Amino acid sequence: MTLDLDMMMMAIFLPLFGAIAAFILPRAAALVGLVTLALTTGAVIALGLEVRQSGAVVLPLGGWGAPLGIDLRADGLSVAMLALTSAVGFLVSIAALDALKGADQARERQYFWPLWLLLLTGINGVYLSTDIFNLYVMIEVIALAAVGLTVLSATRAAVQAGLEYMYASILGALLFLMGVGFIYLQIGRLDFTGLMGAEPTAALIAAVALMFVGLALKTALFPLHLWLPAAHANATAPASALLSGLVVKAALYIVLRLAQYMPFPSETLLTLVGLMGAGAVIWGGIQALRAERLKLLVAWSTVAQIGLIFVAFARAGEVGLTESWKAAALLILAHGIAKAAMFLAAGRIKDEIGHDVIRDLDRAPVRPTLAQFTFALAAISLIGLPPSLGFIGKWSLMEGALVAGYWHWVAVTMLGTLLSVAYFSRVLSAFLRFDRIRTPVAEHQGWALADAAPLTLALTAIGLGLMAAPILRFIEIGYPFGAAL
Amino acid sequence: MTPDLIYGLTGMAVFGIGLVGALCAQDRLRRVLALKLCSVGAAFVLVVGAWREPPGAPDPVPHALVITGIVVMVSATAVALALIRRLQTLEAEDDA
Amino acid sequence: MTDPLVIFDLLLALGIVALAIASLSVRDRFAMIVLFIVFGLFSALAWVRLSAPDVALAEAAIGTGVTGALLLKTLHHLRFVESRTAITEAACAPVPLGVLLANAAFCGLITLGLAVAFLGAPSAGPGFDALVAEAMPASGVDHPVTGVLLNFRAYDTLMEVVVLLAAVIAVWQIERGLSDAPAPAMGEVWQGFARLVLPAIVVIGTYLLWVGAEAPGGAFQGGAVLAAVGLLLLLTRAYVPRPEHRGIARGAFVLGTGTFALVALMVAGGGRVAFEYPLDHAKTLILLIEGMVTISIAVTLAALFHGREPVALPKGGRDDT
Repeated sequence: MTLDLDMMMMAIFLPLFGAIAAFILPRAAALVGLVTLALTTGAVIALGLEVRQSGAVVLPLGGWGAPLGIDLRADGLSVAMLALTSAVGFLVSIAALDALKGADQARERQYFWPLWLLLLTGINGVYLSTDIFNLYVMIEVIALAAVGLTVLSATRAAVQAGLEYMYASILGALLFLMGVGFIYLQIGRLDFTGLMGAEPTAALIAAVALMFVGLALKTALFPLHLWLPAAHANATAPASALLSGLVVKAALYIVLRLAQYMPFPSETLLTLVGLMGAGAVIWGGIQALRAERLKLLVAWSTVAQIGLIFVAFARAGEVGLTESWKAAALLILAHGIAKAAMFLAAGRIKDEIGHDVIRDLDRAPVRPTLAQFTFALAAISLIGLPPSLGFIGKWSLMEGALVAGYWHWVAVTMLGTLLSVAYFSRVLSAFLRFDRIRTPVAEHQGWALADAAPLTLALTAIGLGLMAAPILRFIEIGYPFGAAL
Repeated sequence: MTPDLIYGLTGMAVFGIGLVGALCAQDRLRRVLALKLCSVGAAFVLVVGAWREPPGAPDPVPHALVITGIVVMVSATAVALALIRRLQTLEAEDDA
Repeated sequence: MTDPLVIFDLLLALGIVALAIASLSVRDRFAMIVLFIVFGLFSALAWVRLSAPDVALAEAAIGTGVTGALLLKTLHHLRFVESRTAITEAACAPVPLGVLLANAAFCGLITLGLAVAFLGAPSAGPGFDALVAEAMPASGVDHPVTGVLLNFRAYDTLMEVVVLLAAVIAVWQIERGLSDAPAPAMGEVWQGFARLVLPAIVVIGTYLLWVGAEAPGGAFQGGAVLAAVGLLLLLTRAYVPRPEHRGIARGAFVLGTGTFALVALMVAGGGRVAFEYPLDHAKTLILLIEGMVTISIAVTLAALFHGREPVALPKGGRDDT
C-alpha cells in the first residue's frame, strides 16, 4: 500500500472523524473543525503532488475492485475540485469563527461544525467516487448537511427556504436514483468504466435524462432553480458561502464527470442544456437587477453563473465536448472562490451596517470599507474582467464557441456579462457615493480576522487567472479519454 | 406475463403518481408522502432488475442498494418532517 | 396459461397503484397516512414475490413502519399547533383542477416514456450474479445481501450510516428549543401491552441481526425492530429523555459510524487496502460492525422519532441560549 492511496481515504475519513469529534465534544467543536480542515487540506495537497507525479490514482476499496466493489479514483479534475473545497472551506471556517462568535449563537456554533464537516465528507466523497450509486448516497450526505446549515439561523424565512430546498434535494436525488436503476437494468454495472462505450438504448437515454434532470435540480439550473435564491439568501453568511461556493459545484461536477464517461446521446440534448443555461444567465441576471437585498442579489447571480457554466459545457456541441468540460471546470473553480468571498463580504456588510437593503446601503453611518473592497474584487472575477480566473474561463468559453462557429453562445455570454456589470454596479455605486449622508461617516476598518478570509479568497480568484495555464494542464491529468485521443 | 414485467410497470406507475404529488401537492405532509412514493417506485425498478426466472437466485447487489436507499430516504424524511414541525410552530408564533 | 400466481400478482399490482393514488387524494391526513402504511406493506409483499425478502423486511420495518410513525407524530404536532391558533387545514387550498390535470398529463408522459424504456431494457439482463457467487466464499458471511452490504460495497453502507448521523444532527439542530406537543396519552391497557411485548421485540430484533449472516435480516432490519422498542418506551413515557442523557445519546449515534470507519481504516496495511478485512477475521469484524451499527440505528431512529434534543426548558417556553 502506497501513500497516495491513503490520502484519498484521508480526504474523506478525516472530515468524518472530525464531524464525530465535533458532535460529541460540542465545546471544542470550533477547534476540532479548524484542525480537521488543516489536516484535510494537507491530505489534498499530498494527493495533488502524487497525482502530478504519477497520474491518476485508483484505490479499490475492500480489495474487490469495480464492478463488484467500489473504486476511489483521483485525477487532475478531482484534485482541482478537492483543492477548491479545502481552500474555500478552510477560509470560510476562519470567517465562521468570527461570524458565529456572538453570545447568543452558542447553539449555532455547536451545530455548524459537525454539519459542515459532514458536508465536507460528502463533497470530498463525490470528487473521488467512480460509482453512480455511491454518488447517490454522497449527494444525500451533502443534502442533509446542507439543509441543516441553511436553517442554522432558525428564522421563519430560513426554515421555509430550507424546507423547499429539502423537497428539491429529495426529488433530485430520487430522479438520480431512478436513473441508476435504469443503468443497472441496461448494463448491469454501476461503475464509470462500465458506462464507457455503452450503446445509447432507450433505457440508457431515459437514465441520462433522469440523472441530468435530478442533478440540474440539485445544482439549480434554470428553470429548476426556484429553491436556490431563498435558501442561499436566508442562510447565515458562512453557510451561504459554503452553499453557493461549494455545494452546488458537487452536482455540477457529477454532470461533467458523467459526460466524460458517457457522452451525451445527441446534439439536440446538448443544445437543450445550453438553452437552459442561457435561460439561467438571462433570468438570473434580470432577477439580480431587481433584487432589493444584497444577499438576494448575490444568490441570483449564482443562478446566472451556474447557467453560464452550462453554456460553457454546450459551447461547441457534441464534437467539442472533449474540450468544453475544461472551460466549464475553470468557471466552476472561479465561481466557487469568488462567490464564497462575495457571500462572506456581503455578510460582513450586513453585520456592520445592520441591514442589507441595497437602496439604503449608501445611507449607512458606518462604512465597512474592507468588506466593500472585497465585494468589488469578487465582482471583478464574477463579471470576468482580466486577469481574474473568471476572465480566463469566459475567454476559453467564447474561444471554443467561435472556433466551432456557435455565435449564439458567444452572444449569450456577452449578454450575461453585461447583465452582471449592471447588477454589480447597483451595489458598487452605492459603496462609492458619499453625498447621501450629512453626518460624519465612520470609517469602519473591520476586524482583521473577519475580513482577512474573504479578502484572501477574492484576491485568489483574481490572482489565479495568472496561473490558468498550469491549472489547465493539471486538470487534464488522467482524463479518462486522454490516452485514446 | 412474468412478475418482473407486472411489478416493473407498477413501479413506473407509482413513481409517476408520486411525481404528480411532489409537483402539485399543497399540503406539506402530502408532499413528503409523495416523495416517499417516488422512492418506492425507484426501488421497484432495482428489485425487478434483480429478479431472475425461478429457480435462479436473484442478484443480491440491487437488494443491498434498495436497503441503503430505504435508510437514506427515512433520514431525509425525518429532516423534512422536522422542518415542517418547526415551520408550523414559527408560523403559529408569528400569528399569535 | 393462467397461473393463479399471475392473477395474484396482477391484483397486488392494481392494489398498490390504487393505494398510491388513494393516499395522495384522500382529504383527511390521518387516512392518508394509514393508506400509505397499507401501501408500504403491499409493496413489501410484492418484493417478497420478487424473491427479495431482505428488501421486504427493510421496507416493512423502516420504509413503512418508521416512516409511518414519523408521519403520525408530525400530524399530531401539526394538529396540536393548529388547535391553539387560527391556522387550519383549510389554509391549504385544494389544487386547482387545471393545474392538477396539466401536472398529471406531464408526469403521465414521463411515466409513459419510462415505461417504454423499461420494456426495451433487457429483462433479467446482465448483473453481478456471477461476480458475487465467485466472491462469496471470501466474504466472511453466507448471506449474499449481507456480503454486499458489509463487504463488497461496505463503503456505501458506511456512508448510509453517515446519512443517518447527518439526519439526527440536522433534526436536533432544527428542533432546538422547540416545545413539544403533549404526547398522546396511552391507556393503561396499552402500557400493559407494551410491557408484555417489549421483551419479545428485543428478542426478535437481536435475532434478525444474528441471522443476517446466513438468512434474510441484518443490521438495518434488526435496528429498526429495536427502534420500535425505543418508540414504545417513549410513547408510554416509560423513558423520558433528559438533558443529562445527551452525552450518551451522542455517543450512541456515532457508535456505528465510528466503529465502522475505524475498522475500515485499521484493516488496511500489510498489502491490504481499506475495507479489506483479513479473511480469518472477516466474520468477527463484520459481526462487530453490524452490532455497533444496529445499536446506532436503533437509537438514531428512536431519536428521529422523538425529534428535539432533550434540553432543560420551561414548559411551553423557548430555549435560545
